[in-house]
Amino acid sequence: MTPSTRANWVLRIAEPETHAPVVTTRTAFTRSAAGRLLPPSAVLALAAYLRFRQLTAVGFNSDEAVYTGSAQALAGHRALESMFPIFRAHPILVQLIIAQALRISDTDWSARAVTAGFGVLAVWLTYLLGARLYGRAAGLAAAGLLAVMPYHVLVSRQVLLDGPMTCFGVLSLYCVVRAVDDAPRRWIAAAGAALGLAALSKETAVVLAGGLFVFGVVAATGRLRPRHLPIGLGVFLVVFSAYPLGVKLAGASSTGQNFLLWQLLRRANHPLWFYFTTLPSAIGPAVLLLAALALITQRSRLGWRERLLVCWTVVPALFFTFWPVKGYQYLLPVAPALTVLAAVPIARLWNTRHGVLPRRLERLPLSRGVRGALLPVAAPLLALGVMATLFVPTWQQTSPSTSTAFLAGTGGLPGGRAAGQWIAGHIPEGAQLLGGGPSIANVLEYYGDHPVGALSVSTDPRDRNPVYHPVPNPDLAVRAGEYQYLVWDSFTAARTPYFAAELRRLVDRYHGVAVYTGTVPVSTAIGAAPVPVIIIYEVHP
Amino acid sequence: MSRFRKLAALAAGCALLAVNAPAADAASGSATTTPIKHFIYLMQGARSFDDYFGSYPGADGFPAGECQKVGSGSGCVRPHSLDGQSAGLAGIDGPLIAHEVDGGRMDGFVSAFAQQDRSGQTAMGYYNGAELPTDWAAAGQYVLFDQFYSDDEFGTTANRADWVAAADPDGNRVPTGGYDELPTIFDRLQAAGVSWKFYVQDYNPKNTGLAAGKNADDQAARVPLLDYARFLDDPELRGHIEDLSQYYADLADGTLPAVAYVASSGEDEQSAHSIAAGQRLIQTMVNQLMVSRYWDSSALLWSYDQSGGWFDQEAPPKTAAGTLGLRVPAVLVSAYAKQGSIDATLSDPESALRFIEQNWGLAPLTARDADANSLTGAFDFAAAPRPARLLPGPATASAIATVAAADPRTGKAVALYAVLVAGCVVLLAVAAAATLRRNRSLAEPAGRS
Repeated sequence: MTPSTRANWVLRIAEPETHAPVVTTRTAFTRSAAGRLLPPSAVLALAAYLRFRQLTAVGFNSDEAVYTGSAQALAGHRALESMFPIFRAHPILVQLIIAQALRISDTDWSARAVTAGFGVLAVWLTYLLGARLYGRAAGLAAAGLLAVMPYHVLVSRQVLLDGPMTCFGVLSLYCVVRAVDDAPRRWIAAAGAALGLAALSKETAVVLAGGLFVFGVVAATGRLRPRHLPIGLGVFLVVFSAYPLGVKLAGASSTGQNFLLWQLLRRANHPLWFYFTTLPSAIGPAVLLLAALALITQRSRLGWRERLLVCWTVVPALFFTFWPVKGYQYLLPVAPALTVLAAVPIARLWNTRHGVLPRRLERLPLSRGVRGALLPVAAPLLALGVMATLFVPTWQQTSPSTSTAFLAGTGGLPGGRAAGQWIAGHIPEGAQLLGGGPSIANVLEYYGDHPVGALSVSTDPRDRNPVYHPVPNPDLAVRAGEYQYLVWDSFTAARTPYFAAELRRLVDRYHGVAVYTGTVPVSTAIGAAPVPVIIIYEVHP
Repeated sequence: MSRFRKLAALAAGCALLAVNAPAADAASGSATTTPIKHFIYLMQGARSFDDYFGSYPGADGFPAGECQKVGSGSGCVRPHSLDGQSAGLAGIDGPLIAHEVDGGRMDGFVSAFAQQDRSGQTAMGYYNGAELPTDWAAAGQYVLFDQFYSDDEFGTTANRADWVAAADPDGNRVPTGGYDELPTIFDRLQAAGVSWKFYVQDYNPKNTGLAAGKNADDQAARVPLLDYARFLDDPELRGHIEDLSQYYADLADGTLPAVAYVASSGEDEQSAHSIAAGQRLIQTMVNQLMVSRYWDSSALLWSYDQSGGWFDQEAPPKTAAGTLGLRVPAVLVSAYAKQGSIDATLSDPESALRFIEQNWGLAPLTARDADANSLTGAFDFAAAPRPARLLPGPATASAIATVAAADPRTGKAVALYAVLVAGCVVLLAVAAAATLRRNRSLAEPAGRS
């Protein structure tokens, strides 16, 4: 691409604008190949380092075990097929990709590398999106913020569907931006395809389609007109049809329908304000402040760019706030849009580096010398400062934890992998275990290759995931020899003390003998001490 | 986590470990001639071999064209599956079994009932792996005996006396005053200092043969030791008779004796309704042994005490000690048992006695066990002990509906995904390529200028 072409690109996005976007002023360095490639490459390297660093230091958590288990079933692992059905609750695009990776190398790393790779790709697409909307400095800042954001790093390091969904979501957003000023039919069709891939990663991406639809109806601009929307919507629906059609072709319709009914009727798992109390620290208060600043400073002149990003962010945020089922990672797709918004003030500050302040800041009492010394480094310092506030918690949270508890979606289950591997090596084939809850059951099933029941699975179909089997009378089940081992774990004990006590009662009643104890080191007043997190008891009726 | 909570968690964890630490394995017997240090023998109710294994692949099952005459007419009844039926045989007695055997011709299994104006159709029924998941799975993984006979054609009391003493001095009745001095394998074990126990399901210590009279259906008929005055009067000996729950406790506590006999009760599979429960009992007993510390040093045999009127093709064989009863199912499970083997050695409950006597160096009880073939041939002691593989039982919950990866239906779904994803890639590529072309064409005039 020639410099003049790039200039055309930057200029063209201003065409349908009611006010000018951030104008990029170029230096010799930024025009050079090194200037074009080095900064985004450095950001991508940082993103990759954080996403791949000590990737398998902790084992899978419950959700990861489920998705990787399904991928293993797709890869032909017969023993896991019965415990992790292929057609379970979600579309299978990501599981299919992971299955290919597992065929090459059957390790935890292979599965996590797929989603971590999608995480890095999302950072690159965020760079393109930011650059397309507000110039390269904004793209770079947005990508930098996303690269180190705890929320995005943490989720994309896990085998969850939300990372790939977010990646396809950003691609879709980028295509919409291209549709505004360039070949709207082609690009809106491409946007529909990308959004379809997002929905085939996880069906909740349908909510993102709602955000784009709101934008298209109320804020279509440039070459993009409401009449183009059906094209994108049509492509999206055709692609997304693979989900229900695939389930139907595989003859697993009842599983899908049961899961849908359960999702619609199940009780709320978190309070209404869950996201407002949990996510600010994960996204970063500084990112939220900068994004708000970008909107506030232009409140009277919000253009289609800001409207697009706001629609993309607000619609899912509102939807999942009122949707009874909440998950930590559900709002991940809004993170790239927030970083692009947060990058706007940084990019504007970068444009003052030659000493030219915006009109409203001209009256600031800054001498020419101060301006000359401060303004060239202000934007990089601000960007790096904000990144530092994100980097520290990210570093801490991606280091192996010594906690005995965790929030679903935030990391591995303490001691789960080691216990599962012990089960695989020591427990006779055909033996069944009974744990406190489905989280520990999933992890032990994945690593242990043995069925694990869960005490806390409700007998009421409205209160349980349809793929879980309840144990209506655990006492009878143990007495009848259905289970030969009971599993106590600190995670279930902290979440549901009742079932931990029930399990303890069964252990006492049926001559429980501890045959395995998994511990994690915890700092105490008397020094580091191993605290049991998982204990497996052999029981005899 | 606060410091107090951490310390509390540490203390709780240590307490959990301390309370449930494994106990040391109790010394359970003297030296053995084989790696089998623990032998358990469960006796179930009345079933014939063909009733349970007549359709088992590779076993000496139903002969081709088998059809039992109904009576003097031309009609006959072929073996038929009892799949899903709750079928039972009532009013079985010695004369009826003798009519079935018909002097070794084995042609009266239907006519014996017809003679009593009853239908004999059911006697020709058989079960298969769906109804007998535990027995069939064990046979597939370990050793099935297809020439294992009961001692007597008919009678719980007689067959159970032979089970422990290799003799039934008064046939199917307990002699007045009990068996008195008839020696049992447990006397031999006791004298040799080898630990033993007799586990009784739903054990009622008050219900003894000497107290209950001659009711052949009661607990004493199933547990011959309760027909011995010395096993009732001597607290030391009586202490060896315990409820079956103690078997599981002994497995957990490390106190499993060297030799254990087990008499089931309501789960003995004698009635059609108790088959599933009986399979579950066997499954639990075997699986619990498998998950215990004893798996590598034990063997568990179960057999059925008599045919119960069910069809079996094989005539009772004659031995030096007398004529045996009809063929019954018998399965041996052990880490040393040959894998998936069908053992055609002529065997009977005395074969187990013979094995015990050989293994612990005991003298035979009678000529029957002295002449019996031992179970030793069913083991492969040259091989390392096999890892346990738990037995399945009757289904208790509906399994999750799964579709295999190799299923063509899964293939169709995956192909659909592949086609649509490829379509998406094409759409994205077309949009990018068109834009690239357009940008190049816009750039060219600028480049020329």
